[in-house]
Amino acid sequence: MTLKSLGCTSLCSVIDRLEIGIIVLDEAHQVLHWNRWMTGRSNQTPEQAIGQKLESIFPEISSNRLKLAINHAIKDGLPSLLSPALHSTLLALYQTEDDRRQNKRMQQMIHVLPLRDQASKSACLIQITDMTASISRERLLRQQAENLRRTNSEDPLTRIANRRKFDEVLVYEFRKAQTLKTPLAIAIADIDLFNDYNALYGRDGGDRVLAEVANIFRDAIRPVIDLVGRYGGEEFAFILPGMSEEEACRFAENIRLRVVAQSIVNESSKIAQHLTVSVGVTMMTPDADADTHTLISSADVALYQAKHDGRNQTICFSIEDGSFKACR
Amino acid sequence: MLELSELQRDALGEIFNIGVGRAAASLSQIVNDEVLLSAPSVQIVRGEEATRALFGTELRQLSTVSQTFSGPFKAEATLVFPESNALEIVRLMVGPHMSVEELSEFEQEAMCEIGNIILNACMSSLADLFHISFDSTLPLHRFGDVQSMSIISDEGERVLLILQVDMIISQQRIQGHILFLLSVASMCNLFNCLEQYLKDQGLA
Repeated sequence: MTLKSLGCTSLCSVIDRLEIGIIVLDEAHQVLHWNRWMTGRSNQTPEQAIGQKLESIFPEISSNRLKLAINHAIKDGLPSLLSPALHSTLLALYQTEDDRRQNKRMQQMIHVLPLRDQASKSACLIQITDMTASISRERLLRQQAENLRRTNSEDPLTRIANRRKFDEVLVYEFRKAQTLKTPLAIAIADIDLFNDYNALYGRDGGDRVLAEVANIFRDAIRPVIDLVGRYGGEEFAFILPGMSEEEACRFAENIRLRVVAQSIVNESSKIAQHLTVSVGVTMMTPDADADTHTLISSADVALYQAKHDGRNQTICFSIEDGSFKACR
Repeated sequence: MLELSELQRDALGEIFNIGVGRAAASLSQIVNDEVLLSAPSVQIVRGEEATRALFGTELRQLSTVSQTFSGPFKAEATLVFPESNALEIVRLMVGPHMSVEELSEFEQEAMCEIGNIILNACMSSLADLFHISFDSTLPLHRFGDVQSMSIISDEGERVLLILQVDMIISQQRIQGHILFLLSVASMCNLFNCLEQYLKDQGLA
């Protein structure tokens, strides 16, 4: 059986059963056909719609692009597409009666196509697709993508960069410094005697203080240029592009003093009345053979020295001559 | 032949400017803000010269919207923007902040519609003034570089009419091009229509 052998009446019933909206308009914008899908969504039967002007069924179209598109199809014979992104809910169409009561219109994609009727007069076919489901699916996907991006790069407790993000940025900044032959400084700060703090104030207290210290550090860095990340349990690491040794030392000592200035009560500490940090800092202008490992381990060595020298202090390690220096 | 005289160039430029002017009115209506469009230059090049004429040596990612128009002459019309510009347009028109990765079907459709408005407007302006009519396919959106566009890969006798397009939305100027790819025969028919039009205007 070919489609032709179905005959015209059956073809109309095919159109009626389509799961998209079909409206056919004549030259004067009067409805020639209105399929069953339209009846369900518009609350207008074909008997009510046929012979009426589309503007009288949907008064709002007289001032929007659908009318221009219809003119374009009838007058110029050119097709148009009306995307949900730019119009979303052009026509008063609803998925359910409930939606109609709440005025929740269906998201629509509309195609307006030129047609010729039997007398070879211009006519136009309007095809409406329900995009509600795909648009809400897309919103959900986008939101999930955004959440994933965040959880992938953010430490959930302190809301600063996690280790993964830190390592990524380090590689990027290191290459940039190699190419541009500019200095790159790294500082690592560690909360002094954090285990004792945890033992006295509990894990919740420890978590709170980690978040508080992270906040202090976040406020201390240069926005956009620097990065602070949670490097390990109570260790925070800083990427400081372009800083000379002197600037890096000043910065590192400054973050130590900021923690002191916050006066976070710490009765577990053997070295002070309040919470303190030790900081190790280093810098290099990496040449082609240099690697990030040298930079990180040098900052680590400096931090170890600061701990060894009694904590609550800042030590700089010079990669060039292997010397230690207290930052003041 | 297949060179534009100054008179022809001016006439074509004027016709297309009427077209993009109408498109700007439609776009302004959609965004409820003033959108300005102009087509400051028209030129004709052979396929192989197109890459150079259009984009210099830089091979950028492009966003394209094409429709094929057929009538007295057949033209594959393509609106071309560098991908970042296309994204900027959609962002300015749709509103919310989106990154390149997030440019999905939703925004491609928006770009498709913007292209549809501009291309239809240009062709209907030609049709009106030449007293002819066209059929057209629905717009198709694609991403690709210059190499992947059919103008460049097509070695046959095809000619390219290039229209530069300047768009201003929310005080931002965004540049793109409209390319009309025609066979030599179609280009001759376009020239004939243009000559007839100039004659009717008492200009040739």
